[in-house]
Amino acid sequence: MLKLIKLEWKKNNTKRYLLKALVLAVLLCLFILALAYLGIANDPDTGVPDAAPGNGTISAPIELFTGMCYLIYTSSMLSAFIISSYRNRTMELMFSYPIRRQKILVSQMLAVWIFSFTALVLTKLLLYGAVLAGSLARQSAFPLDYSMDSPHFYIQLILKSAVTVSMSFIALFIGLRRKSAKAALITSFLLILLTQANVGDITLAGSAVFPLLLAAISLVFAVLSVCRAETRDLL
Amino acid sequence: MAYILQTHHLTKTIGGRDLVRDVNLHVKEGEIYGFLGPNGAGKTTVMRLITNLWKPTSGTIELFGERLTPKSCQVLGRIGSIIEFPPFYEQLSGFENLKLHCEYMGYYRQGCIEETLKLLDLAAAGKKPVKSYSLGMKERLGIARAILCRPELVILDEPTNGLDPAGMRQIRELLRSLCARYGTTILISSHILSEIESIADTIGIINGGTMQKEISMNEIEHTSLAYVEVTAANPQRAAWVLSEKLGLSNFRLTEGSCFRIYDDSISVQELSRALALNDVEVTALGRKNETLEDYFLKITAEVNGHAEAD
Repeated sequence: MLKLIKLEWKKNNTKRYLLKALVLAVLLCLFILALAYLGIANDPDTGVPDAAPGNGTISAPIELFTGMCYLIYTSSMLSAFIISSYRNRTMELMFSYPIRRQKILVSQMLAVWIFSFTALVLTKLLLYGAVLAGSLARQSAFPLDYSMDSPHFYIQLILKSAVTVSMSFIALFIGLRRKSAKAALITSFLLILLTQANVGDITLAGSAVFPLLLAAISLVFAVLSVCRAETRDLL
Repeated sequence: MAYILQTHHLTKTIGGRDLVRDVNLHVKEGEIYGFLGPNGAGKTTVMRLITNLWKPTSGTIELFGERLTPKSCQVLGRIGSIIEFPPFYEQLSGFENLKLHCEYMGYYRQGCIEETLKLLDLAAAGKKPVKSYSLGMKERLGIARAILCRPELVILDEPTNGLDPAGMRQIRELLRSLCARYGTTILISSHILSEIESIADTIGIINGGTMQKEISMNEIEHTSLAYVEVTAANPQRAAWVLSEKLGLSNFRLTEGSCFRIYDDSISVQELSRALALNDVEVTALGRKNETLEDYFLKITAEVNGHAEAD
């Protein structure tokens, strides 16, 4: 399986995605630092951050923006690795090898998941670290609500990143059904709305059960994407 | 000789329409099997079924003596194939595409990629990205990939599309040498019948989704394909002379007033004399050999005729 994953990275030009992830991390870092230390989100009248209820601390924008960006990033990567393979017929080539189709599809999904998950974890560490480093010199507009000394911080960061990246399997399933990369991307936008948006004071972003439910749903969609691959015609 | 590939009553139905129906195909080990049929006859469908890309609605496929199941995959390691136009990772070079193929096939013979690229005249282009290749180069790279791991069975669906005449000849020679040197079995479809005629040991003709005929080239050459062609000014009278006076039945009117007589019991001289004695004016007369193209057209025309009559 590891060999198949490495081959996926090799043939899909993963260096390009690495560069994109680096650019994304730098832009997000600059944006979060601007939020924290340049006061770009502050209300001009009051001088305090103009944030939705419950989103007044710095971890809220970090989680929101990294989650949004990486859900779209992962969905676009899954589209390029898997959905495009059906469209440009390289999946036909893959299915002509003496390897089980399910194994091929799982290796493609894992290749994207591992890459995106690692990139997301490192990006979040960069953002939290940069804000923490900045707080030594200046007062942050958003209060810092985390401690990088605590193991709990890292467990939370890893779990939240895993759920965010896994959610893109829902987008993949829709994209595969429609044989369309656009459908996968639109689904990922809808998922962002569902998980991050506020309707009045109601939001699912802070729920503890919701991420677990989403992770379970994502897993079901991942299984659905591969379960009938062996016996289905490659149309 | 053992059959390396057989299909039994192979049928594929999609959306209520039979793409192929009851196809029985028999490919012997080490032979070149030419798979002929007009466009839309079902050649590609049969090839997709054999390579397990599509699953049969009914019927079975036997490869290397074992029945192919929807989940069979190990057997694919013994097959090299091109179905329709070969797909590639366009941003990678030809060499890298072949290297990937070796990795997935688990084939690690030293120098095999360079050797195969050279064989297909792609040694110089091997380092360039595939997106810069011409149509013919991509087709040749597809053939290189299909034969790279020395498969026991090579399945080629119209492999000479996009090749110039020199390229076509090169591929023909390559296939012959593969067959002779390594005993590779080749199943090849093509719409260029003369191309198949010069290399195939056996041909199978499919039309309208059903297998019409399976015959060895030797059989074609030695049986029905020598004929006498007569062009007569009065075809009705000529037909009467042929059937009533000469007692012939194995003849047909091809176009206008041209008859083909497949009965080898009569000589050109006897025929000429009988027609002249019965006042049939003959404008052309001669013995000819039917090409594979004629044979193919005869078979498909018969089928179309039956279909129209039904």
